Amino acid sequence: MRLLAGAIVLTIILAIASLFVGVSDVSLGALLSTSAEDRPMQVLLISRIPRTLAIILAGSSMAIAGLVMQVVVRNRFVEPSTAGTTESASLGFLVATIFVPGWPLMGKMLIAAGFALAGTALFLRILRAVPLRDVMLVPLVGIMLGGIIGAVTTFFAYRMELLATLLAWNMGDFSGILRGRYELLWIGLGCGVLAYIAADRFTVAGMGKDFTTNLGLNYQRVMVMGLVIVSLVSAVVLVTAGSIPFLGLIVPNLVSLMVGDNMRRTVPWVAVMGAGFVLACDILGRVVRAPYEIPISVVVGVIGSMIFLYLLLRTRRHAA
Amino acid sequence: MKHTSTILAAAFAGALSMTSLAMAQETVITHDQGETTITGVPSKVLVSDWAAFDNLTALGVPVAGVPGSNAPAYLADDVAADALKIGSLQEPDFEGIAAAEADLYIVASRSRTAYPTASEILPTLDMSVDNAALIAGVEEKLTQYGEIFGKQAEAAELIANLDAKVAEVKAAAEGKGSALVLVTNAGNVGVYGPESRVSWIHNEIGIPSAMDNVEDGDHGGDTVSFEFILEANPEWLFVVDRDAGVGAGGNEAAAALLDNELVNQTTAAKEGHIVYLDAQPAYITMHGYSGLMLLLDQVLAGLNA
Repeated sequence: MRLLAGAIVLTIILAIASLFVGVSDVSLGALLSTSAEDRPMQVLLISRIPRTLAIILAGSSMAIAGLVMQVVVRNRFVEPSTAGTTESASLGFLVATIFVPGWPLMGKMLIAAGFALAGTALFLRILRAVPLRDVMLVPLVGIMLGGIIGAVTTFFAYRMELLATLLAWNMGDFSGILRGRYELLWIGLGCGVLAYIAADRFTVAGMGKDFTTNLGLNYQRVMVMGLVIVSLVSAVVLVTAGSIPFLGLIVPNLVSLMVGDNMRRTVPWVAVMGAGFVLACDILGRVVRAPYEIPISVVVGVIGSMIFLYLLLRTRRHAA
Repeated sequence: MKHTSTILAAAFAGALSMTSLAMAQETVITHDQGETTITGVPSKVLVSDWAAFDNLTALGVPVAGVPGSNAPAYLADDVAADALKIGSLQEPDFEGIAAAEADLYIVASRSRTAYPTASEILPTLDMSVDNAALIAGVEEKLTQYGEIFGKQAEAAELIANLDAKVAEVKAAAEGKGSALVLVTNAGNVGVYGPESRVSWIHNEIGIPSAMDNVEDGDHGGDTVSFEFILEANPEWLFVVDRDAGVGAGGNEAAAALLDNELVNQTTAAKEGHIVYLDAQPAYITMHGYSGLMLLLDQVLAGLNA
């Protein structure tokens, strides 16, 4: 408990740091010495606070989505981007862009979420048909499925000359976040809270269908709830910020190493560490080449893949 | 021994030039990837670059083969109905090119990597233009096309037009303040600098950049936040909507993206000095005469509005 409090404090410190990093001069002194009409306060309200909130919301909800997925699929190495969910959401967003370009972002997001749901359900359906003896086979199947869906998306984007647009969505990036352009992410928070409330059910469902049914729970309903949470979160994060690779994979795994697998205990940890990790990466991306920015997906990709490799090698050593 | 071989070589070379003189005039064109000898005036010409198509069309040279995609709207009517489609910009269809039995093939920018393969099939030119000296580069290409196709007078006229237009825009830009050239792409903003495809706005027209040392990548510009634009506070914003450049459509997406509380505080937005450049010439055919003239006219219209 004390450890968790420490993690929360660290994340709050990162969040405060995030408020003071950027091109404009926003310092405590400038904020205090000027009136609310002046630029530092304006920038803080219009740009910095929304961006920091967006990072916290996206980071924590994406990490929780990864955790839910790992519990539901009963495999440590799945997350929305290794199960075809992100690619399906991207295909849905492309479909919305082609057929209903005039729809508000909310409507397009719902279409993306619908596709994400269908793609994830397809993934689970395939898993049921394939005998999986090796834990590594599950993410491999997911990555292959994602590759196929991604190829379809790329084909249509190419034919419709939307390739550059597609590339830009898939590049996670918080530089465009302003007041009024991130609020969809609160839906992600809602999903995170839902996951916390239903944590025990997921833990039980993670032990298998028969076990769950014996305890008097509706296995199917718990699975569907898990899928809806994962799909909604993936779609919201994709349409507002783009995809953030590895996040849903490494954070739950690190938390599991630290505090074990009881989901009611791990959800708060995953949320806090997800937010803290993305905050740190975004601050880094803003500082390295200031005044230009390095997109968050690049920073998370580099750091995340290193942690992922560490986790892989570590598992191998334990298995041996 | 050495002496005789020199004499022999000289005699051989003489014989060669005599025969070629008898057959047709030879033109040697020096370009980025070597020298290409063109015999006579090529009549069947293939291009894998829309700027090259633009320049040839401006000179009145018919083009027999074009890329199968990405034709800018302003050039679409100039493409002959029976023109061969020879693959995409990035991946030319070499079999089609070989089968076409053309006299000349032109690659540039996006298709320049096709040069080594293509030059083994038929006389090929790489007509890429260096973005850092864009207008001089376009004029050099026009001169070379003039030589190849015997259209020196037409080329000189186009170059004079271009120079006159540049001078006019330059005069209009005098004392109008600084600018940023932005590129928008699916919700992201990048800034274009002096090495970019729109470098001429700064280098040739002489509108100073609102930010010192803009460095940028080749395609999307450097990613920046809206705070960056606020702090740079340019007097002018020139905007290329990249989504519109690769697909169809106007600049609504870019306009919606830039209409926000931070950008609206800049001098450019307050004064209504946001100029949207036609994305297709800005992004695809910035090395073509008509495309460049179109952009220059848009900059001029924006400055004088």
